[in-house]
Amino acid sequence: MGLMPVGITPDESKVLCQRVLGLVQADSAEVRVAVAADQHLRSANNDITSNSIANRIAIHLTVSYGQRSASISTNQTSDAALREAVEKVQALARLVPKDPEHLPPVEPADYDEPIMWAEPTAAATPADTIGWMRPVIEQARAARVESAAYLIRRVGATALSNSCGLFVHQPHTSVGFSMTARTLTGNGSGWASTQVTHAHNLDLTRIAEQAIRKAIDSRNPAERPAGRTTVVLESAAVRDLLALLVENLDRRSFDEGRSFLNSLFSNETSLEKPGTDRRDPIGSHLFGDKATLVCDPLCPEAPCGTHDGGLPLVRTPWIEGGVLKAMHVGRFWALKQGIKAQPSPGNIIMPGDGLTLEELISRVEDGVLITRLWYLRMVQPQTLLHTGLTRDGTFAIVHGKLAGPVKNFRFNESPATVLKNMVASGIGQRVLGGENAMPMHVPPLIVKDFNLSSVSDAS
Amino acid sequence: MNRRDWMKRTTAAGLSLIANRWQRSMAEAASVNDHFIRLADIPLNKATSLGASFADFHIMQTDSESLFAREQMVQGVVAESTFGCSVRVLVDGAWGFAASDDRSEESLVQLAESAVAIARAQGGWRRRPVEIEILPAFNGRWEQPIEVDPFAVALEEKIGRLLAINQAATGSGATFCSSHLSQVRERKWLANTFGSHIEQSRVRIFPGASVTVTDPRKNEFATRASFSPPRGAGYEYFRDLDCIGDARLAVEQAREKMVAPSVVAGKLDLVIAPSNLWLTIHETVGHPTELDRAMGFEANYAGTSFCTPDKLDTLRYGSEHVTIGADRTALNGLSTIAYDDDGVETAGREFAIIDRGVFRNFQMALGQAAWIGRTSSNGCAYADSFEAFPIQRMPNISLKPGPDPSVTVQDLIAGVEDGIYIEGNNSWSIDQQRYNFQFTGQVFHKIHHGKLVGMYRDVAYQGNSVDFWNACDGLGGEKTYELGGAFNCGKGQPGQAAPVSHGAVPARFRQINVLNTSDEAGNKTVASNGNCNGGKLGQWG
Repeated sequence: MGLMPVGITPDESKVLCQRVLGLVQADSAEVRVAVAADQHLRSANNDITSNSIANRIAIHLTVSYGQRSASISTNQTSDAALREAVEKVQALARLVPKDPEHLPPVEPADYDEPIMWAEPTAAATPADTIGWMRPVIEQARAARVESAAYLIRRVGATALSNSCGLFVHQPHTSVGFSMTARTLTGNGSGWASTQVTHAHNLDLTRIAEQAIRKAIDSRNPAERPAGRTTVVLESAAVRDLLALLVENLDRRSFDEGRSFLNSLFSNETSLEKPGTDRRDPIGSHLFGDKATLVCDPLCPEAPCGTHDGGLPLVRTPWIEGGVLKAMHVGRFWALKQGIKAQPSPGNIIMPGDGLTLEELISRVEDGVLITRLWYLRMVQPQTLLHTGLTRDGTFAIVHGKLAGPVKNFRFNESPATVLKNMVASGIGQRVLGGENAMPMHVPPLIVKDFNLSSVSDAS
Repeated sequence: MNRRDWMKRTTAAGLSLIANRWQRSMAEAASVNDHFIRLADIPLNKATSLGASFADFHIMQTDSESLFAREQMVQGVVAESTFGCSVRVLVDGAWGFAASDDRSEESLVQLAESAVAIARAQGGWRRRPVEIEILPAFNGRWEQPIEVDPFAVALEEKIGRLLAINQAATGSGATFCSSHLSQVRERKWLANTFGSHIEQSRVRIFPGASVTVTDPRKNEFATRASFSPPRGAGYEYFRDLDCIGDARLAVEQAREKMVAPSVVAGKLDLVIAPSNLWLTIHETVGHPTELDRAMGFEANYAGTSFCTPDKLDTLRYGSEHVTIGADRTALNGLSTIAYDDDGVETAGREFAIIDRGVFRNFQMALGQAAWIGRTSSNGCAYADSFEAFPIQRMPNISLKPGPDPSVTVQDLIAGVEDGIYIEGNNSWSIDQQRYNFQFTGQVFHKIHHGKLVGMYRDVAYQGNSVDFWNACDGLGGEKTYELGGAFNCGKGQPGQAAPVSHGAVPARFRQINVLNTSDEAGNKTVASNGNCNGGKLGQWG
């Protein structure tokens, strides 16, 4: 089976978009095409458990008659299938009530050339990929730990085209790898991950070493009482929390009075001088001085696409020195409020202070090192309070040094509070997230008063 | 546009057009039916000729439609279809798998070759070969019985119903209301080298709504989501639900919740409605008793389990009141199907996971039974798309009613001095070995002297799975039984989403740890559970 599905090149993609749009008789239309050739390699108990390859294509078409619109998606590309999909979605659109918030498709714009493609990643074969995984498993066997790992190699492209003449095609490659090592007694566990665009930058041996080391070091954890404490969050934990914050920075929710920013902003402006515009949180100092988050599609360490639904994505500070600089603003809401639309970020970069993890730990008199979080869920949208747990290596810090493994904790904490209470940061790195796929390059942080709510027996 | 205006505008021509819009899917499915045995022979013979000791061939067609409405606006009408196939092979004790949307004969041969090649590439360094049991061959066709095919119902009927829900909510004082309806049809064909040829079709539907009330002066808001769970059912399920009545009640409850006293954290007795308890069953019993998880196969993502094979028949998982069973045959069950995705017949394979408090069995897929000394899978394999490797997924897992059929939820509440009656599911989280959980809900009724006396806000309950089920001392009778469930339960890498139902009766639990979520966020509560003067003191963070 070929590893390059139709639609991976700009020309193929353009032809496919034109085939679809050429069939449309509605007033306006937009087609999105996503193609990917994926290889998934999975292991457990130091053996490969499944190895699969799949080519996929998704064609998503939205058509509109005036303010009536509907969408359809299909993975069938024959002329007959496309014709039928177009007819079906046009029939749906004619029957849908007018949407007063409907807007015409996005006009063409200039987009930066993305940097998400690496030929060696695209050229790798399934046999190559198994060859990458084998030494990792053998490393775990030699260390007498049980490993479970997942490697995904993706070669794909997205295209967006519409009846206003827009066409943008962006190819991408990536390799993601994560590994959990568990001691044979089952009471020590470690995890590490990486994600790269270019296969030559893969260093799976290093990742395996980290996971194995954490597993061995986390054996026989002691119980430390729950409570608010200073924590060092490794990058994997930081990225999961920050993703939750960023996805909730939404202007419309704020204007409608149902955002965590409403109470946060209200508290802040009540302390400020008279005359502060209480309707616009942009420019308000809502987080700690060290909090800076930027979307930068051309960041080589964690690149992303350079448009969001046809709106150009360019380097944009979202939070800078604790000041809120940007919120997501949809096109309709921007028009209604007379403000500029702001697409959602495609990646998040958090500059760090450049301290090593050891240096961060050395600054903590009494606290906990948290290497990874798990099962994060919103508890209270009014404050953005989330719950979740630590896992795969949690350690006490005493007098600036690691003082042995401790049992895992459930936490109840708001990522907004984390950004208020961050004290220092380390060196940024790109790691995989637990439940969010956005590329992120973030440092480990020291955070004070982190709410470790209860102890978990999980190891 | 309100519902009445909307209904006026629609035409008979439109009705008939929409009713036929899924004809192509049906025609394609009929085409597969006509040729499936011949088609399946191509990859299976190829795989066998290349040395596969076992192979199976799957075709899967998924149609779905999702509608989203906000107040009186329809903001999304999305139809989706995918159609593709896969070949799974076992070669020299290693799995290989290849999938494509190309169902041509040439592609089927290539899929078999690719699957064998990547299985063989693992040769020589495996520690333990994959071994599977021999399954009986079935030649069967199964179609889920439904009364009204949701794909044949006019779009305007569905949209009209959603707009009516939103209108009822905003007309009752909601600041915002959004509603949705999702429907899915799965058609699956499976053939394997044991000789099975199976064709199945099932439908599921998920209506829902959420109302929000706001108080701009206080910068506060409260939401209440509907209690209607997804079901393995036709359109009749949505048609017969009292969504309008629930929308009005939701507004009333959201308003009350916004001004309700904040609970004071501590140990309290809980009576938990099925609309909340189904999710607790899912997380504290469903996931821990997946055998692949217990054996380390999910260690890198979902985690492992406290519930290991050595605890079979010995672990006191719950009190003697607690019997939790598993099946793939329950009426309207989201996991209900005649044959699982390994080709195991599900009828007659119902099993108890917990029987009168004692842990009795795991959920299993092909090749797993021998790990615990048993002979065969209990039919729990599922693949969520044509490109997904089948893995062990949850059957319907349900709490059996108490022995006295006359026991009502009021009877359970009457046995509580001070506590909370919880309805509706909301936030949920549990650790990677399924010990420490924390759940919230939609509505928290205060119980005092055996009666409901108002409402609390800011409630979460937290505990240990085994301790929690051992604290159960009362169950509703069979008339109180309700089926809850999830449309998209996640598991595996790459992630797969599975539909699953959980039946439950109201249940009473003694002295459960209740958290105050405002306290947890750093806002200190000053009220006691005994008065209504609750509030918050202190600043953010």
